[in-house]
Amino acid sequence: MKKLFNLLALGTVLSLISIDANAQCNADTYTNTCIPKLSSGFNFLKSYKIDGAGGGKSKVEYSYVFTKGTQYMINICAEGETTDGIVVTLYDSKRQKVGTSVYNGQYLTAMAYPCNTTGIYYITYTFENSANYCGGSALGFKR
Amino acid sequence: MKKLLIGIIVLSIAACGPSKDEQAQNEFENQLAADSTNSGGPEISPEVIASIIESIPSPLEISVLLKESGTKYDVALLNASSNTSKYNSNYSKSLNLGIYGTDLGYTNIYSQNQDGLDYMSSIKELADGLNIGQFFDIETIGKLATNSNNLDSLLLVTTQNFNAINTYLQDQERSHLSVLLLTGGWIEAIHITCQVSSKDPENLQLQEKIGEQKIILENIMLLLSFYSETYPNIATLMQDFEELKGAFDDIEITTIYKESTMEIVDGVMVIHDNSESNVNITTENVEEIKNLISKIRSKIIS
Repeated sequence: MKKLFNLLALGTVLSLISIDANAQCNADTYTNTCIPKLSSGFNFLKSYKIDGAGGGKSKVEYSYVFTKGTQYMINICAEGETTDGIVVTLYDSKRQKVGTSVYNGQYLTAMAYPCNTTGIYYITYTFENSANYCGGSALGFKR
Repeated sequence: MKKLLIGIIVLSIAACGPSKDEQAQNEFENQLAADSTNSGGPEISPEVIASIIESIPSPLEISVLLKESGTKYDVALLNASSNTSKYNSNYSKSLNLGIYGTDLGYTNIYSQNQDGLDYMSSIKELADGLNIGQFFDIETIGKLATNSNNLDSLLLVTTQNFNAINTYLQDQERSHLSVLLLTGGWIEAIHITCQVSSKDPENLQLQEKIGEQKIILENIMLLLSFYSETYPNIATLMQDFEELKGAFDDIEITTIYKESTMEIVDGVMVIHDNSESNVNITTENVEEIKNLISKIRSKIIS
């Protein structure tokens, strides 16, 4: 009886660990995938983790000072070849929308921004019908 | 008034970061409001500090600009790699690690491999002194540096190393060292740009780049202000930066806003920025900034 109880207890613990592991977002895997996917000629600047906490977070946001005369590229990586519903939207220093990676229902994996206006920009990741709420992104630049 | 200004800048940047939901934002605002009433200054959360640090552009962008504008490589502009023995405190090691980081990026961009290896050794030495030497695999970097075809990989590895250091220092609650590292890197980048611009006053692109640093300076001063009451060295550095800020106050950055447009090109969303920013800066402004930066830098590298 005691052995059966111990076995059940062990099984419960293992299943809880398994559930927890499934809920974890290993964003590093996706950022590492994204860095080499920056288009040719772009120098890597930053990698960004996109962890939507299994749907608990509506957005993940970072900021960066973009400068005039420089072209920036932001890409998105998630499970498989698609973005898993992850959308990147760029806002300027006054929180005016500059651009987004979704267009006519098409979720694009990369966005290029030839900057003409120096200032702080907000790089916002949101989720639309995402399955895993987990991904990574890389920012690169070229002159 | 100063605290109000700091609060506004923090709030505009603090809307960022991976955990910026509304609740956290409200907590932050409440904390800032409470802190602004006592003499200790605002105590800022690690997440907010991390998000400001993340927003500071890489000095590598300036090195690329210099090369692509036709500026010749000049090692004399850099801090000599043999100076490492002068840096004994964590304060000077961190600042000079940032300076050497910019110098390494500059040598890499110009494919000056031997100089790059010298700077890599200095960086490793200072990093070891700060117990962050594990982030530099000098053997791998050395191999990459021996072949100019590996430039992309070399830049990638060194950028990743410095990003990893910043994250590690923040995780270890040593963010002030991360801020100093960033500050040193910025000082070196603007020092090189000012020196080049001073010799080539017709290059308006460089002048504009110097003027744009007004935005970065505000963010760096904000970061330094979080630690100036705890660390006397940082308070002294802040005083020097206040003088520098005075020189930048004369520079005006204007923006004409027009809504951007977008199109898909080869599967990439391309944004067309129809807005434009302009920097109103004179050669006199550049000279003044150059002299002040030289003064600050001399104190750091000596």
